[in-house]
Amino acid sequence: MQSRRHTPETEDTGIDLAPMLDFTVNLLIFFIITTSFIKEAGVTVFKPSAVTGFNRDSGNLMIAIRENGDIWMDRRRIELRDVRPQMERLHIERPDDTVVIIADRESDAGVLAKVMDEVRLAGITIMSIAADPI
Amino acid sequence: MRKRRAMSGADAEQTGIDLAPMLDFVVNLLIFFIITAVFVKEAGLEVNRPTSFEQPEESDNESIQIQILDNGEIWVDNRAVDVRAVRANVERLSAVSPDSGVLIVAQEQTPTGVVVEVVDQVHLGGIQNITFSTTQ
Repeated sequence: MQSRRHTPETEDTGIDLAPMLDFTVNLLIFFIITTSFIKEAGVTVFKPSAVTGFNRDSGNLMIAIRENGDIWMDRRRIELRDVRPQMERLHIERPDDTVVIIADRESDAGVLAKVMDEVRLAGITIMSIAADPI
Repeated sequence: MRKRRAMSGADAEQTGIDLAPMLDFVVNLLIFFIITAVFVKEAGLEVNRPTSFEQPEESDNESIQIQILDNGEIWVDNRAVDVRAVRANVERLSAVSPDSGVLIVAQEQTPTGVVVEVVDQVHLGGIQNITFSTTQ
């Protein structure tokens, strides 16, 4: 039964898969090398705008601060005191990553300062405040 | 008998290994990488933050101070200025004392948008060394 089903399949060959495989492997390589495992904040905030903002390639860890002071990281809302342990863990995993703090333009500067302090205490000294280019 | 038929089939194809399982596997990998790929990039402004142990005045005596009140008023050099005038003021003060950084002291209730606007204006004024601090 099995052999009868097996033999016709091997005999009638379909299209040649090799070029498709070549193409697919190329796509695969592209996606592998462009993957950077960014930790998204997971919440949309109304960012302030600035002319002089620039992209830092290592800015992969994002912390969002909403206008009511909620802090979001890695698609979850976290407390201020949890920022430091989370950041320490991520910093050990990928020491070259830097932090981007996405603060709402109506959020308090005090919360921003506290989050920056926590990130700094976790050992990440390079951080930037996200801004939309005008 | 069966062996010979299989061999004749292979001869007719004249192919090597069967690529289909490999293609399945590669396509699966590809789908995984496509759905995990994130192309988000955030542009940002970098500011320093003094540690709570070191006083900001100690690190840079000649720094230009900009104060931001929680109602959005900006004070430079003991005068309330508009956000558009920050750049000119910073340029003037940095011409007097070059190599000085800027210290931005904001009240805790200040909206972040105002702080970022001021940081942006100071950058436009040509100073990259900005320290950000808050007061009650």
